[in-house]
Amino acid sequence: MHNFEYHRPTSVADAVQSLKGAEDGKILAGGMTLIPTLKQRLAAPSDLIDLGAIAELKGIKDEGGMITIGAATPHAMVAESEVVRRVIPALADLAEGIGDPQVRNRGTIGGSIANSDPAADYPAALVGLDATVQTDRRRIKADDFFKGLFETALEEDEIVTAVSFPKPEKACYAKFPNPASRYAMVGVMVARAGGAVRVAVTGAGPCVFRLPEMEQALSGNFSPDAIKGIEISADGLNSDIHGSAAYRAHLVSVMARRAVTDCA
Amino acid sequence: MPRDDVTAETRQSFTKVGTRPLRPDGVDKVTGRARFGADMAAPGMLIGKVLRSPHAHARIRSIDTSKAEALPGVKAVVTRDDFANRTDELRDILVNVMAREKALYEGHAVAAVAAVSAAVARKALRLIEVDYELLPHVIDVEEAMRPDSVLLHDDMFTAGVDPVPDQPSNVAKRCEFGHGEVEKGFAEADIVIERSFRTEASHQGYIEPHACLASVGADGQGELWCCTQGHFMVRDTCAALLGMDVSRLRVIASEIGGGFGGKTTVFIEPVALTLSRKAGRPVKLVMTRDEVFRASGPTASTSVWVRIGVTKDGRITAGEAVLKYQGGAFAGSPVEPGAMTAFACYDLENVRAIGYDVVTNRPKQAAYRAPGAPMAAFAVESVVAELADRIGMDPIEFRLKNASREGTRSAYGPTFGPIGLVETLKAAKAHPHYSAPLGNNQGRGVASGFWFNFGGQTCVSLNINIDGTVGLAVGTPDIGGSRASMCLMAAEELGIEYDRVRVIVADTSSLGFNDVTDGSRVTFASGMATIQAARDAVKKLCARAARMWDIPEDAVVWEGGYAKPAGANAGDFQPLSLRDIAAAAAKTGGPIAGHWEFNAENAGPSFATHIVDAEVDPETGRTSILRYTVVQDAGKAVHPSYVEGQFQGGAAQGIGWALNEEYIYGADGKLQNPGFLDYRMPVASDLPMIDTVIVEVPNPGHPYGVRGVGETSIVPPLAAVANAVSAAAGVRLTSLPMSPPKILAALEAEKGAQAAE
Amino acid sequence: MAGHHVSTTINGDAFEFVCEPDETLLDVLRDRLSLTGSKEGCGTGDCGACSVILDGRLVCSCLVLGAEAEGRTIATIEGMADGDRLHPLQRKFLEHAALQCGICTPGILVAAKALLEKHPDPSETEIRYWLAGNLCRCTGYDKIVRAVLDAAAEIREGRDAA
Repeated sequence: MHNFEYHRPTSVADAVQSLKGAEDGKILAGGMTLIPTLKQRLAAPSDLIDLGAIAELKGIKDEGGMITIGAATPHAMVAESEVVRRVIPALADLAEGIGDPQVRNRGTIGGSIANSDPAADYPAALVGLDATVQTDRRRIKADDFFKGLFETALEEDEIVTAVSFPKPEKACYAKFPNPASRYAMVGVMVARAGGAVRVAVTGAGPCVFRLPEMEQALSGNFSPDAIKGIEISADGLNSDIHGSAAYRAHLVSVMARRAVTDCA
Repeated sequence: MPRDDVTAETRQSFTKVGTRPLRPDGVDKVTGRARFGADMAAPGMLIGKVLRSPHAHARIRSIDTSKAEALPGVKAVVTRDDFANRTDELRDILVNVMAREKALYEGHAVAAVAAVSAAVARKALRLIEVDYELLPHVIDVEEAMRPDSVLLHDDMFTAGVDPVPDQPSNVAKRCEFGHGEVEKGFAEADIVIERSFRTEASHQGYIEPHACLASVGADGQGELWCCTQGHFMVRDTCAALLGMDVSRLRVIASEIGGGFGGKTTVFIEPVALTLSRKAGRPVKLVMTRDEVFRASGPTASTSVWVRIGVTKDGRITAGEAVLKYQGGAFAGSPVEPGAMTAFACYDLENVRAIGYDVVTNRPKQAAYRAPGAPMAAFAVESVVAELADRIGMDPIEFRLKNASREGTRSAYGPTFGPIGLVETLKAAKAHPHYSAPLGNNQGRGVASGFWFNFGGQTCVSLNINIDGTVGLAVGTPDIGGSRASMCLMAAEELGIEYDRVRVIVADTSSLGFNDVTDGSRVTFASGMATIQAARDAVKKLCARAARMWDIPEDAVVWEGGYAKPAGANAGDFQPLSLRDIAAAAAKTGGPIAGHWEFNAENAGPSFATHIVDAEVDPETGRTSILRYTVVQDAGKAVHPSYVEGQFQGGAAQGIGWALNEEYIYGADGKLQNPGFLDYRMPVASDLPMIDTVIVEVPNPGHPYGVRGVGETSIVPPLAAVANAVSAAAGVRLTSLPMSPPKILAALEAEKGAQAAE
Repeated sequence: MAGHHVSTTINGDAFEFVCEPDETLLDVLRDRLSLTGSKEGCGTGDCGACSVILDGRLVCSCLVLGAEAEGRTIATIEGMADGDRLHPLQRKFLEHAALQCGICTPGILVAAKALLEKHPDPSETEIRYWLAGNLCRCTGYDKIVRAVLDAAAEIREGRDAA
């Protein structure tokens, strides 16, 4: 690690202040990606702003059919939450399937989405469930939040404070974990709400994406057969040491069908 | 399983051996008190770091360390210039420890620093300027064997070929084993199957990275604390590389956090000593995990071709194999043991195995649990499974029909004495696992495996304390519970309670030379030395009793922990306990101790048969291991829990190697997955319980019948898992690891082939 | 880049230390406080050998900054036994021979303790998934899982009896 200035603000306002004042400041949430990145010297921020002491960023609220999760809430808390389990079980399942207990106890929803790792699970949840990201200054629809590989709509000094998920009628997440890291090789969130169906895919491309063709087919007939014939093109999908783009394309079809089947 | 042809000496009943007491070092290891390689500190200690080549193959034109040396806090910088060149058998070790003319692989050490802190040391590394001339590289074993391949060493001429080649190549050596007439055998066969197989390099994956603390004084005397499988080997090698007298270097083995063969050589130890000598202060050097992957030794990747012929009634008429193993940048891949073990399970009239030892731009391979054997067994046992299937014979029956047994002339030469392969096959067949029903997409695989086992140079001291307790000093690091076995054997011989024996792994100045903890040798060889040292002590105890009774020494016998008069003629005396004799030692001649030093032979080979059930997801190619049973011959299980542990651990490593683990290289010759995030070893949720059956066919070469057990357990799993997966998928898998994309591709290819028919 | 003064509680004792911002909690435990029971197997949070319990939650101390320990409560392997009385998990690990080399053992014991504090009656599968963040290369996990099952049963019986 390069040396850096460490800050531990106790309010969001102070955190934003610290970030604005830093030459090249970075937010430390759970640190599950950031600290290994720093150790490998792939990043060398001048300042690290730790969100761990900001109480207002932690916790889960049930706000009348809407679940709001504070940005610094660890995955384990989401997985264990009775409210989440009752209102959006698919979200609890997704959180429970991230990494291992040590990762789930530290990694946070805000950190995960702000990083926009192509293989992270949460982006599929946000886009699939049509969530809204709350920052220190605005609300951003999930569809507009994820911009590309490790790229989001966040401004340099903007901090995610919470994510709000509307309650779907049905939702399921099917994931093919990387046998090594257990990141998503492919993860598909299928959700039905108000007659519309969303199919969000993570792991397969540089960034979470939706599959309009499948969404349309499922809107008419919410069954795995409805999407059986839909071919997924491998163009633009990720290819790495664990699987080719073609393999991922194949997995997208399989996981989408399994998610729909699980919804039944 | 009892046999009636064992020697009188090995037919023995036991009161301690075969029980399961708590290990003597256990409390230290469950409380965090045990000190491993990186857990030691010394006053005035510096931190060492190593600069490694970022290139797979490059000539090192120059190294400029002046800026690093000028950095405040840097106390020593070393490069190739600080190590005297050699031309002897240590040359490769020297060059691997610190690159000379060329960097031969990504991660090859090119310089090292010692500084007041890790931060300063890391900063200093960035200030070292190395001028590299990049060279083309070769990673793949088949490519490295091509006549037009990039060459690693201009002076490498294939050994074992007549006449000696006049052109250098990457083939360090050719070897051949076998007997009979292979072509005649194939002519007698009704069915012949030949196939080619590939395995990738896997790493031993010990959780403790290499670590050491070196201290060399201005008087030229040194001490080294390190995690190693053999501190005597470390001492001798380091002393030679540093030009020291062996007597001036004392090496203390720390607790060792896994080795599996990977800690049977030196990497950072000579570097730390050289830094310390230059700085005049202790230097601690610990590898990162990234360095462990890039710069310590994984095992070889291989390409193996096998051909086996059988008659319709299931008799193997001939077996042939060509094995090509790349072992990294230096000669010494384990192709020889691979070729020797390939057909060891079978009683063959006609057999031939040819091996090629090949160098590539990868880290120098290190031993990994039964080095070379699992890859050969993968190929042979896969074809054996296919043949059994083709002739419609139960795979265990087929193996029984062809199995090596006592009197079989082994494929690698010697004739087997009493061995337990048949017993493991029969026990596997009788195990409920073998007849349990299977579901859809599930398959069962069976494979057998063999390992030679090793004895080696061993030296042990056993001291009788004044209160009748016993101090035992062995020279073989305890890598998986061997202290418990040593205490059991000492207690058995002396007739005292297990917990009255305390065993230590003594440093290199306290005992004669001991070979490294390898070849599954410790319970066998250090155990035998312990037994003999105890018998030596018993002789002296009897002599002391004789003196106390004033009768001749040969009139005293040792029975059940007591010295007794040999008979009525010897006199009428109350038996003396070990404690009684010990208490009187000062008056009867002083301290009482037993010693034994020898070069252990007749280690007694060990065989195993594994059964595994796997399920393959036909849509994704993902495999789950549902059930696993290990049946292995232990000769005599001294501490059955730790024997089972060796069986289970070998199976788990084999499963990882079969399904997930592999060194993946980019086109640039650089390792793509040097961390546990991308190099996946099995975790608890990847595995089922691993059932074990201990078969006991005593080894006549050991007083208790012990055979080594540590290595054989990793020989069958690659093949057993491949056979299970192939059965589940309905298509033969010939390339490891059987990753989901690979299995899916095989399924699709099979579907395509069926559609075409 | 000043050092940080940190006050924290480790195994029930108050500790104060100064650390650089880029030092991890594991660095601090091992190098500054001589608590070497937590091991560094990878430094990237993938092996679990450095597992500690931070404010009641199991974490890899190699991915926590030392400075983050301010005001927190930490439990390490060194605090698991009560004086010379081993924790039931420690005893069961010995009885079941659930360790071979012992390097992963502290992390696995800490992880298992965190599990049993949450789920006193875990199934084999729950234990396997809970321990998925702790690598053991020696045992194949069989004896580890059995030891945890056995310790859980003993702890439950102890509670029932009390």
